[in-house]
Amino acid sequence: MPELGKLKLLHVWLRLLLLQGSWNFERLQGGGWFYALAPVLRVLYSKDEMRRIAREHVGYFNTHPYLAPTVAGAVIRMELERAAGKEPEIGIAEFKEMVAAPYAAVGDALFWGGLRPLAAGIALLLAAKGLVIAPIVFLLLFNALPFWFRIAGFLSGYELGLQSVEFLQRRRLPDLAIRTKETAVVLLGGVAAFMVFQLLDTKQSPLWLGFLTVPAVLLCGYLARRGISTLMLVLLSTGLILICSLFSADVAVWLP
Amino acid sequence: MIYTELAIGAGVALICGLDRIAALQIMISRPIVAAPLVAWLLGDVSVGLEIGLMVELLWQARLPVGAAIPPDDTQVSIAGTVLAISLGKVLGQTGLEYHLLCLLIAIPLGKFGQFFDRFARQYNGRKVSQSDLLLESGQFYAMEKAHRMGLCCFALAALGTYFVIICGGLLMIPILAPLLLPSITETSEWLKIALPLVGIAVILGTINVSRSLTLFGASFGMAFLLMWLV
Repeated sequence: MPELGKLKLLHVWLRLLLLQGSWNFERLQGGGWFYALAPVLRVLYSKDEMRRIAREHVGYFNTHPYLAPTVAGAVIRMELERAAGKEPEIGIAEFKEMVAAPYAAVGDALFWGGLRPLAAGIALLLAAKGLVIAPIVFLLLFNALPFWFRIAGFLSGYELGLQSVEFLQRRRLPDLAIRTKETAVVLLGGVAAFMVFQLLDTKQSPLWLGFLTVPAVLLCGYLARRGISTLMLVLLSTGLILICSLFSADVAVWLP
Repeated sequence: MIYTELAIGAGVALICGLDRIAALQIMISRPIVAAPLVAWLLGDVSVGLEIGLMVELLWQARLPVGAAIPPDDTQVSIAGTVLAISLGKVLGQTGLEYHLLCLLIAIPLGKFGQFFDRFARQYNGRKVSQSDLLLESGQFYAMEKAHRMGLCCFALAALGTYFVIICGGLLMIPILAPLLLPSITETSEWLKIALPLVGIAVILGTINVSRSLTLFGASFGMAFLLMWLV
């Protein structure tokens, strides 16, 4: 079976960074998927064969961009086998269809739903202290895991082919996603407490007022769950604060 | 001078706008990175940190999943920072209250980002049939070029959003500043934490974690008490 050179693999990996470059409602990442694999297909097939093979790769495709390299590595391995005359156990199109949606779901939960708010929470604590390293810390914290998956997933996909599914199964990503989300929620509680305490301390307001933050946040969360948009909540809370400021002097008389 | 600063902002808007969906996705498009970046280039990184802090959590809960298009917080934070620094110099305004005013005008205008983003995706969709014709005629390099052209669509969408917010800000802020700044001045500190708290609330309301309210309440209470008592 032919093997691809490291430069060719690097070429594909770099192109996967542009996977969503022509994202559209018809085929989602389909165009980017073909764009990423084209250098390999060009090596393996003649022009006529490539036309036939390319039809399989330009269609609908959608997965999480950080886990797409794992799929791509496995598909490259399967294409190498097919080019060598060995038919894979399951079709390449079927394999893509089989793994794309679950990878997308677990990737969204882990990277967007868990890791991003977690890294943002830590960066916000630093930003609230006025530390200019906050953006750098955010980038380092957030990108470590995605880049590991982008690189290790691609290489394991290329080495293991169909068995690369086990590479992700072993990582128990759904469990990791839940743990990350829980940690993010705990951290955001700390961030909120820090910001509220800092404000009340600076303003020399009664500190017990800070505990009113919890019901206020829960009310906003309830409204968000009921479908009120973030923009509306921003406008409502801003309006409320501005109105309250008109009566602040009267209210201050009643506070201990 | 302001034109140079607007152009610097446009450059950052373009690069960060691409990072948002179309390329890399290393999260330089997040407000906590993009706002300090443009502010650093304009010579006042603290303004960017302040604006990044306020915007970062607002739309965290809106995941860029599948066909969902979240509001463009990247361009809101970049354009808000450019307006805060550059227009602030022209108007002789500075301080948290003025930065908040810029942001409160930029946030609703960020909705235009969804329109431009949707347009870019629809335009890319119209190129699909053209790409199929290229495939049938064996012009694979042309197909790859068509994909790269998609990046240009997303870049233009990012610039479009940026300029809508900038133009809106340039038109509205000089008029609204004298009217609104006195009331915002009194409440600026409260407004500064209200925005992240709304973001946290939306995350709590939409995050799919059992006992999220218990976890949040416990960690808030514990952290607050510790800071109070220690």
